[in-house]
Amino acid sequence: MANKKSFGGLKVREAMVLGIIVAMIILFSILSPTFRTYPTLVSVLDNSYYITLMALGVTFPLITGGVDLSIGTGLASYALIGGFLVVQKGMPIGVGLLACIGIGVLIGLFNGVLIAIMDLPPFLATLCTCMITRGLGPALCGGFGVSWPSAISSQGAFRNVFKFIAPNGMVVPVGIISMLVLVAVMSFVLDHTRVGRYTIAIGSNKEATRLAGVNIKFYHVLAYVISGFFAGLAGIAYASTYATIYPGSGAGFELDAIGGAIVGGVSASGGVGTILGSFLGVIVICLMKVGLPFIGLQANWQQIFTGIVLIVAVLIDVVKKKK
Amino acid sequence: MEKIKQNAFVKKVGFNRIVLIFVLLLMYLAFGALTGGSFFGFSRILNTLNYVYFLGFLSLGVTFVIATGGIDFSIGPVMYCCALVAGYSLTTYGVPMGLSLIMSILIGVLFGVFNGYLVAYWKVPPFIVSMASMNIGKGIAAVFTKTQSVSWPQSNTDGGWYRNLVSMNGIPVGLIIFLVVAVVCAVVLNKTEWGRYMLCLGSNEEAVRLSGVNVKKWKMLAYIICGTLVGIASIFFVAAYTTVQPGYGDQYNNEAIAGCVMGGTSMAGGLASISGTVIGVLIISLLQQGILALGFTKDYQYIITGLIVIAAVYADVSARRRKN
Amino acid sequence: MGDIILTMKGIDKSFPGVHALDHVDLEVRKGEVLALMGENGAGKSTLMKVLTGIYKKDSGTITYEGKEIEFKNTREAQDAGIVIVHQELNMLGHLTVAQNLFIGREFKKGIRIDDKKMNEEAKKLFDRLNVQIDPTETMSNLTVGKQQMCEIAKAVSFDAKVIIFDEPSAALTESEIEEMFKIIRDLKKKDIAMVYISHRMDEIKVITDRVTVMRDGAYVGTLITEECTKEDIINMMVGRVIYEEPKTESAVPADAPVVLKVEHLNAGRMVQDVSFELRKGEILGFSGLMGAGRTETARALFGADPKESGDIYVNGKKVTINTPQDAVACGIGYLSEDRKRYGIVVQKTVAENTTMASMKKFMNGIFINKKKENEVAEEYVEALATKTPGVDQLVVNLSGGNQQKVVIAKWLTRNCDILIFDEPTRGIDVGAKNEIYKLMNKLVAEGKSIIMISSEMTEILRMSDRVVVMCEGKKTGELDISETKQETIMNLATREIE
Repeated sequence: MANKKSFGGLKVREAMVLGIIVAMIILFSILSPTFRTYPTLVSVLDNSYYITLMALGVTFPLITGGVDLSIGTGLASYALIGGFLVVQKGMPIGVGLLACIGIGVLIGLFNGVLIAIMDLPPFLATLCTCMITRGLGPALCGGFGVSWPSAISSQGAFRNVFKFIAPNGMVVPVGIISMLVLVAVMSFVLDHTRVGRYTIAIGSNKEATRLAGVNIKFYHVLAYVISGFFAGLAGIAYASTYATIYPGSGAGFELDAIGGAIVGGVSASGGVGTILGSFLGVIVICLMKVGLPFIGLQANWQQIFTGIVLIVAVLIDVVKKKK
Repeated sequence: MEKIKQNAFVKKVGFNRIVLIFVLLLMYLAFGALTGGSFFGFSRILNTLNYVYFLGFLSLGVTFVIATGGIDFSIGPVMYCCALVAGYSLTTYGVPMGLSLIMSILIGVLFGVFNGYLVAYWKVPPFIVSMASMNIGKGIAAVFTKTQSVSWPQSNTDGGWYRNLVSMNGIPVGLIIFLVVAVVCAVVLNKTEWGRYMLCLGSNEEAVRLSGVNVKKWKMLAYIICGTLVGIASIFFVAAYTTVQPGYGDQYNNEAIAGCVMGGTSMAGGLASISGTVIGVLIISLLQQGILALGFTKDYQYIITGLIVIAAVYADVSARRRKN
Repeated sequence: MGDIILTMKGIDKSFPGVHALDHVDLEVRKGEVLALMGENGAGKSTLMKVLTGIYKKDSGTITYEGKEIEFKNTREAQDAGIVIVHQELNMLGHLTVAQNLFIGREFKKGIRIDDKKMNEEAKKLFDRLNVQIDPTETMSNLTVGKQQMCEIAKAVSFDAKVIIFDEPSAALTESEIEEMFKIIRDLKKKDIAMVYISHRMDEIKVITDRVTVMRDGAYVGTLITEECTKEDIINMMVGRVIYEEPKTESAVPADAPVVLKVEHLNAGRMVQDVSFELRKGEILGFSGLMGAGRTETARALFGADPKESGDIYVNGKKVTINTPQDAVACGIGYLSEDRKRYGIVVQKTVAENTTMASMKKFMNGIFINKKKENEVAEEYVEALATKTPGVDQLVVNLSGGNQQKVVIAKWLTRNCDILIFDEPTRGIDVGAKNEIYKLMNKLVAEGKSIIMISSEMTEILRMSDRVVVMCEGKKTGELDISETKQETIMNLATREIE
């Protein structure tokens, strides 16, 4: 929203991030011949699904001026519980998938109530739910890892939504299509529905929005519910791209998603951000994650870079505001 | 009730603190009874305490940051970073033990400087800085150790003397050090210019600035003190557990902040109590031990700690709302 | 002249300790612009807030379109057709103009917000009002003037029959005001009634039909604009009897040394080329209406806000003041009009607040010497007659006057010789006021120098040795107290801008 100037329909920030993505791909490709191979592309995309889904959701709390730190441990926890119901309790796969999303929505609702109605600071409230969800999965499932049904079994068809393995062993990353569809849908929600409009309005000037007769509590809670819903979806994406979900995993995943969103132009102080920007930001993070080993750096450098990039992205905001 | 609150002794010690101590005692007795007495005994207590000193140091550190109205939830991963980088230098590059311990503290201080500078001088929101430091701390630790866990020396091996910092021949050295540091923290917070300005700026930063005080400096100092204590915490962590694994440490953020908030430090800043933090950490630790003793897993600890912090913060928020 | 659309009769409203409105009458007609004038605190805004349901009246009646009404909130008033265009803009900077206009009542097409239709409607609205604003522009990219136009357009879009302008021109440039007047004349033709609150005499003469004057919460009278002069209005605004003895001549000898000299101070729109001198032992009054730039001048001088240019000399020596630290080091202390936000730390004790600016004096090695701290605080509690149970009392428990004394004690402890009092008695009851005045006189007698910013005419006349008058960020006059009258000040404060 910040600027009307555009490059072929993209906002300035989005175009910038797209430029960074292209630059990174070129750089990695020049430095490492093995990077420009099909498996690498698949690997980047596989890595990106769950982070993208988290980022789509967390963009809403971020735009209201809050944050949701519970999505990382949340997604692992939801996937654990869903898988547990299917694998250990013999429930149909549909129940498992629904449970995954349903618990996500419930935790989102819990966050929303704590923040919008009980007035707790967002980072602290969600830091607590981050701990709660971390314990929740293992506590309910007995602390063992869970493997969702594999793609070849009758119950594992859902995995094909993200990664289709053809009979000849060819891997088709169909997940990217689902992602693009969701990006389009959520862009519509953010830009063209009241939910999105009031989310931005709350982040822009909460009091003025209230005075305009908007039920701000409802829309404020809803932002966190959306975030929880997408954390549930991210749980499913994670379960379908990775073989096993281990209890206690997921800590720190949220940083990749929030980092991606902020790199993509979502303001840490609220009011500004686009879904497409968040998506592109996540791609930057994922490229770092997958690409760095190709140029001889450990994958963990990505964490350090993400931290630095996060600070730089926010500093750009701070400096802009000073002007 | 009012009468009790007005009693001279109660006033001096603080009503809330007395309540906290009662809670502590009651919980102890309850857990003791529920577990059939295996919870009692002086040596048992001391033995348990050995594993929580590090948490105490983290809590003391973050108390200073919260006093200024900020937050730092990078402390857990940063503590791991200190322990891993110093430990890896010790085991792989043969850095002497003494130097490794100093290194641990120095790394903590560096993170404190980094966080404090960004928050105070660049006005980056504390939660963003925390998130960034958390990532950077984890990343540095993993890159430095090549994602291998690090085992600090055992007690009877070469260089194992550092474990005496926790307990030496039954003498609770760790307890003594912790209490001494807590007293120093209390003195700094309540009796010196540093603490005075930190508390004041947590309460009303603009008024302090307009009094001609360099608020940025004092704010940054709070983060540096926190970083130093995180460094010290890392020493007590390895002295108790010896093994550290990269990629973890997040859970201690919450436990440390929980101790702090339980002890009556206000999340809005300006109001902080070191003795409250000490009792708060004891309550959290006791609770966690109790949960384990009752046969539940660590996962329940996470859930219950999370809920307790929410309750404590809500109590703080609603108390403030009533006052206004 | 049209029919009466709105009548307020005998409106009475009290807040704890203040009788804000004392049986006020007001009458507005269709198709007219009624000016509502009065000094700061005369009760204009309060009256409008009672009308639109923000405050509940204690007694009196409001008749609107022939029916007696009472609104519970602004939304109800809006629905009935009474809308306020606020001085502070209630805008959502990140949304577009059209999105702002229709926030809370978007057009919809299924679940989709029909932004296209909103843009069209906004365009139609702007066309009707003859203003050039792109409805798809982001709000924060507009100038303040254009934002103000949007607020007016929003009011019109509610099908308003009565529009209240609360100092609409305060932030506008000359050409923007001209544009706004065009809109107002247009609305007049459409039979819309308007209430125009402003301090600018020239605007009142140009745009309004009648002038209603209020003073100290009471109705004074109504004049036909065409038939009265500026002097008539000013006389009605200030025509009160001054009970306290005003100062008749300066108590400062003409050869008293200059302790503070400010030359060509510039800091944004609110501080333009302000120069003045302060002599030893003098109280220099800063008078002017709300938004004249007095507080901004003080804050820029004190280093609390950045300044663009200007030289400051303390005791004849040029000094650089970029932060409050620098100012305090030069011996300047600032007592803000908003004590709770900028003056004291309410959750700390009297003693802690007293020593806040001068901690170094109370250090014993690295420890704070609490004994010394308490002694000094007690000294000042006694000297300033601060009413507190003890120096360990939290400041939040003190009354406004006593909080002010704690702030004074803070600067005296720091040995500040130049004190800037910004509205020193705001929110302080009458008895405590006199004490603060006595204290200020005592301070200057001891050789301190005071800059006193005050919106209360009686305070200016009673305390000052000289008076600087400001208007719209500029210094418009400097008067010796012997030549100062209420009318002269008011004339300078509302000076027409060429």
